[in-house]
Amino acid sequence: MKQFAERMGTLGLIACGIILVVVLGALLAPIIAPYDPTIGSVTQRYQGMSAEHWFGTDQAGRDIFSRLVWGARSSLTGPLIVVVITAIFGTTIALTAVWFGGFVDSALSRVLDLLFAFPNLLLAMLAIAVFGPSLTTAALALAVAYIPYSARVVRSMAMRERNLPYIRSPELQGIPGAVITVRHLLPNVAPLIVTGATINFGFAMIELAALSFLGLGVQPPEADWGLMVSNGQQSLLNGYPAESVLAGLSIVITVAAVGYVGERLGGRAAAGRKA
Amino acid sequence: MTFILRRLAALIGVLIASSFLVFAAMYAAPGSPENFLVQGRTVSPDVLAAIRAQYSLDDPFLVRFWNWLINVLQGDFGRSLANQQDVGDLLAGRLPTTLMLVSLAAIIIVVLGVGLGILAGTKGGIVDKVVLLGSNLGFAIPTFFAALILMSIFSVGLGWFPVFGSGDGFFDRIWHLSLPALALALPSSAVVARITRTSIREERDSEHSVMARARGVAEGLVMRRHVIRNSMLPVSTIVGVHIAGLIAGSFVVEYAFTLDGIGTLLVNAVQRKDFAVVQAIAIVLVAAFGVINLLVDLLYASIDPRVKVQQTR
Amino acid sequence: MLDITTLSLTIGPDRQILRDVSLSVAAGEAVGLVGESGSGKSMTLRSILQIEPTGSEVTGSITLDDVDVRALRGEELRRMRANDVSMIAQNPHAVLNPVLPVERYLIEGMHDAQGQPTRTARLRAGELLEQVGIDAVDRVLRSYPHQLSGGMLQRVVIAGAIAGKPRLMLADEPTTALDVTTQAEVMAILDECRHELGMAMLFVTHDLDLAAAVCDRIAVMKDGEIVEIGLPEQLRDNPQHPYTRTLMESRPAGITWTLEGDTTP
Ligand SMILES: Nc1ncnc2c1ncn2[C@@H]1O[C@H](COP(=O)(O)OP(=O)(O)OP(=O)(O)O)[C@@H](O)[C@H]1O
Ligand SMILES: [Mg+2]
Repeated sequence: MKQFAERMGTLGLIACGIILVVVLGALLAPIIAPYDPTIGSVTQRYQGMSAEHWFGTDQAGRDIFSRLVWGARSSLTGPLIVVVITAIFGTTIALTAVWFGGFVDSALSRVLDLLFAFPNLLLAMLAIAVFGPSLTTAALALAVAYIPYSARVVRSMAMRERNLPYIRSPELQGIPGAVITVRHLLPNVAPLIVTGATINFGFAMIELAALSFLGLGVQPPEADWGLMVSNGQQSLLNGYPAESVLAGLSIVITVAAVGYVGERLGGRAAAGRKA
Repeated sequence: MTFILRRLAALIGVLIASSFLVFAAMYAAPGSPENFLVQGRTVSPDVLAAIRAQYSLDDPFLVRFWNWLINVLQGDFGRSLANQQDVGDLLAGRLPTTLMLVSLAAIIIVVLGVGLGILAGTKGGIVDKVVLLGSNLGFAIPTFFAALILMSIFSVGLGWFPVFGSGDGFFDRIWHLSLPALALALPSSAVVARITRTSIREERDSEHSVMARARGVAEGLVMRRHVIRNSMLPVSTIVGVHIAGLIAGSFVVEYAFTLDGIGTLLVNAVQRKDFAVVQAIAIVLVAAFGVINLLVDLLYASIDPRVKVQQTR
Repeated sequence: MLDITTLSLTIGPDRQILRDVSLSVAAGEAVGLVGESGSGKSMTLRSILQIEPTGSEVTGSITLDDVDVRALRGEELRRMRANDVSMIAQNPHAVLNPVLPVERYLIEGMHDAQGQPTRTARLRAGELLEQVGIDAVDRVLRSYPHQLSGGMLQRVVIAGAIAGKPRLMLADEPTTALDVTTQAEVMAILDECRHELGMAMLFVTHDLDLAAAVCDRIAVMKDGEIVEIGLPEQLRDNPQHPYTRTLMESRPAGITWTLEGDTTP
């Protein structure tokens, strides 16, 4: 614990605190949020800050604070889906390629090259064109777009370990490849997977928010930060900045916090490797 | 030379494979195109058959893909399902805005990102701290949010820039596109600035820089010739990756500023399931992405003599 | 000519690398600095040119013909580095900028550092390479560092180091990174150049035999301190410090060094 605090530094601990607040907000949204995020009242439009509505209301008269708190849910689950799927498939593909080598490796590389040819957002938009807009489609498509990056990093690291004695000797003893890979290779690339996941989380959060902003991700009237920025665009230009600005800042702060913690963790992963 | 040819061949292979992928995805999409074309109206089977014939919907999949590919190679992208316009014309009309936007953003990334990175790396002290903090936050700012904030401050608030539209004529366009380009370039500039700074720090203590100092070469020259020049090698790849990435980022910014570029066209086409347009844009963008990446690799090979040797062997 | 007096160097709060190092080199003299890896030999040389790692704390004095070289700053420091003292570093592969051709390395030293006109520098670059025993002068001049072998590169570095006819040469294990046959060649060239120009030399190595063959006097260094200084034969026949004795006994029965123009008997 103390070691962790030392590794993080003051800024890192603040970042951890921010992440904790956001996660708690998302988990406890029904308790924390004073209003239903999707229901507003026409008589309550464009309210300023008050004791009743901490951050005021939007153009549909919905409580902005409640929408921010509920918005944390979709804004966090989306990237989480992306990161988990990317890590699982990226690692599996990479380790399979490394273990079998030869034809399997080059065939998998070709497939990844093909995915590399598509910019992430384009791939997501193609999937949305086919399956219709939703958070799930957007998240799954982004995960597919991220897999080659994660697979490439894990592959090159696992490749270096592949021929080391601690992998070679159990292989010669006839222990099955899957067992060796999971028991020996996986723990060695694990720190890399964790760092990669934190980096991907930030990118996924921004790109999913962008898709929601374009009307292709989370659908109204659900609360989502990206959607709120887009929803508040007109109000912002008309002099009611609260919705867009607060939602945008939520994204910026969360992404920056996750990025900073990831960077610190990455430093530890790298240091751990050298030792 | 063989290196270039090999890379070109690989690019063409990837392009064909990805067009197949895109075409197949659209083909397999739930909901048939003729339903989209008749847009919910009830029509007689005869009309439906005529529509199917007009769009060759009854041909086998591979035949349709082949015909489409041949047409695309001849510059014929087909017609929009939504409004019958020629997709090629549609694209050509939107291209200048996107091209200009991406080019301006690329220039901003180089000037702002690399420039600030060099400043932070060479000066240190408070400048360094500020740039580092700025880049830590900068990469976390979504382009659409930056777009909104810039718009509300500089266009609505101060009135320095137009709020919407892409302008006509060269300089008017630049004026219209500079805020969108800035929003688009901001996160990438932050990343590039950081990497530049780190790279400069590493080169500053590299043995050849130290030995150049030890040989009595003036500090300014050591900085320019050894430190900055060599630190640009890794930076140039990163800049290239980010410039290629602008292609996708431009959709969002165009949409936020309601610019009449390819991105807005794509977003609208996706929202309306206008597959002819989506397909065409996807292929053009994959091609542009591939070409930029190829150019970056070639550029890298031309500035680092070590790469050339490895590749041609 | 060179006088190092009670030189100490610390990095960070408590990492003492050098402790009260005192050493002198007379004009034209070759002094060997011998010691095991990590004993601080390179740091001693680097302190003379003020190129110790950033964050080092240095005390004591280093004078070159009564000029305090540690106190030199700016243009004076630059001129001392360009004209009076040259250094040959341990790893020739790292010394040349990997993206500039060899010719630029030599011209940089003569033109940008020493202020010779570019044209003169270009002409002399070829001559210098011939002087260090390189035949394919034009090809080497046009080559990039990664295209040349370590031995070839070290010759280029030596050529660069003698270009300004310095009074003092700092040679930091100039042959360690090379294979055995090239070692002897490069060493011979270095020794020859030194005699031709009458340079003084501070020569770092962990090979006591090599030091004995090249140097007039030898200093033995251990853990950042000089434990013994003496004539080569003194150290060989009658070592005072136990560490010198260990060094003498543990030396490999490798190449025997005989050099042209060798002044030691
Ligand atoms: N940049 C640095 N920061 C901290 N310590 C350093 C640095 N460079 C060298 N050292 C330490 O200084 C000590 C002396 O190093 P030095 O390079 O002078 O040894 P050396 O005698 O030249 O050894 P070798 O024969 O391996 O070249 C070593 O213990 C080394 O770990
Ligand atoms: Mg050394």
